[in-house]
Amino acid sequence: MSDIAGAKLTFGVASGRTLKWLVLGFFLVFTFVPLLWLVLSSFKTNLELTTRPFALPEVWQFQNYVTAFRIAGLFGLFRNSIIISFASTAITVLVTSMAAFVFAREKFPFSNVLLSLILAGVLIPIIGLMAPYFRLINALGLYDTRMALILTYTGINLPISTYLMHGYMRSIPGELEEAAVIDGATFLQRFTKVVFPLSKSGLVTAGTFVFLFGWNEFIYALLLTSRQQVRTVQFGIRHFVHQFFTDYTAMFAAIVVTIVPSIIVYILFHERIVKGLTSGALKG
Amino acid sequence: MIVRSGRSWFWRAVFLAPTLALFAMYFVYPLGFVFVISTLEWNGITAPAFVGVQNYLDNFQARQFQFALRNNFVWVAALAVGKISLAALVAMILARQPFAWRLLRTVYFLPIVISQVAIAMMWRAIYNAEYGIINQALERMGAMHLTRNWLGEIATAFPAILTQEVFYIGYFMIIILAYTMTIPESYYDAAQLDGANVLQQERYITLPMIKPILITTMTLATAFALRHFEGTFLLTDGGPAFRTTVLGLQLYKMTAALDYGHANATGGTLVLIGLALITVIRTTFGRRDAASDSAQ
Repeated sequence: MSDIAGAKLTFGVASGRTLKWLVLGFFLVFTFVPLLWLVLSSFKTNLELTTRPFALPEVWQFQNYVTAFRIAGLFGLFRNSIIISFASTAITVLVTSMAAFVFAREKFPFSNVLLSLILAGVLIPIIGLMAPYFRLINALGLYDTRMALILTYTGINLPISTYLMHGYMRSIPGELEEAAVIDGATFLQRFTKVVFPLSKSGLVTAGTFVFLFGWNEFIYALLLTSRQQVRTVQFGIRHFVHQFFTDYTAMFAAIVVTIVPSIIVYILFHERIVKGLTSGALKG
Repeated sequence: MIVRSGRSWFWRAVFLAPTLALFAMYFVYPLGFVFVISTLEWNGITAPAFVGVQNYLDNFQARQFQFALRNNFVWVAALAVGKISLAALVAMILARQPFAWRLLRTVYFLPIVISQVAIAMMWRAIYNAEYGIINQALERMGAMHLTRNWLGEIATAFPAILTQEVFYIGYFMIIILAYTMTIPESYYDAAQLDGANVLQQERYITLPMIKPILITTMTLATAFALRHFEGTFLLTDGGPAFRTTVLGLQLYKMTAALDYGHANATGGTLVLIGLALITVIRTTFGRRDAASDSAQ
């Protein structure tokens, strides 16, 4: 009897294990295979794409990447994306860390209401505000400029960045500041000499989020810019289909190039990204 | 808290001013703008005329808008229910720390940092009727009759777009996993001693414990579903015959056509649906949560 029960249990455990690895394997395949196909195809000739879709490239066509840079104007796209992403990241983390400092360290009437209001911005379907943003940018005379996107990305990221910075600053013990105040530190010095330097890893987390948002953003780049000179990488990709026409593998090369910076940021900062996502989550 | 330094009122104001000014510019004013302009007939140039709820009525009677509305609700179900269930399943598996779980966690998250635009372009190539990998695989397996123009046919276009988004679970999986791993080990040890198997442990310990984070991620997924744009814009541009369109895409087209009244009525509808759905999720699950607590 116990033998049969034991065999049943073993069978149950074994099939459970198989099922577990089937699930994990499926998501691994779904994550990797399309990307792998894209990268391999970007090194093939257009003929090979249809004749040998599942094989490695016969001769690795590095030429596709040269073509990609030339046809898509990738240098210009990258320059704009870098300027816009870095500028909006710098402004966002500076501005929101100042506000977060006041919210985390000073008590004043309605401070909680004000903070909750800003944080509630995370839940607004921001795409619904397309028309007012379009109007706002036109009214400011910023249509079709990099500044339009820098300002807009900063605005959109205020809630998430304030949230992350506030959470981080609240976790810094107050004693250090109290000691600084006894030594005669002013409000400004408490921020510049104590809290801001101590918030470095909070800044990196918030900064990574804002940077990736800016680098990957598409809708407002589409709506607020049009000239080739100010196009970002993501907005540029939209034109690949026309630019490359039938040169599919060179287009794949161009897409691969646009993905590389995101992956580099991920490799460098994935600990921070995970921490940023989970620090909020743990509060429910 | 802390000691009051003399001119702190002045400095507080200085520190808050940029954030508050930008918040007013990008959230307060736009929300007001959306609801005010949605009651006007206006092209942004000539004098606006007040039309009440007419823009909303026009929208709801238009076929494209009806498709968009229906599709957005399907997106909400696909992400808030489908994607979150899959993410929770994988999180529960990884929380037991199987072989290479850290590596798997890192890999599953990778597509999330890649832009939705690049992901959409990749899937556009995968679904392509001539050189796409799906049709090529079917041909080589001798299933020629199954090949089709995935994004061009009404029957397959919408499921194709949904598929390329639902299975990228990394974002929510990481959040749920981190929460799951805070459940004390001793709960499982106790259950083990009582003879509970793995499935029973997950059902009666993990699931009830992670309910708060499931509600949070469902709320986020709902917001993402209503905000969906890139995939549809690049894969089908709403076609064939508006069968894949979403409210965000309709809104973009109306804004680009300077039809501010209808655009803002669409935007207003999106914001209101968002608030309504989030309230529904919070109250439904929140109540059950409280009920199960008091039952114990």
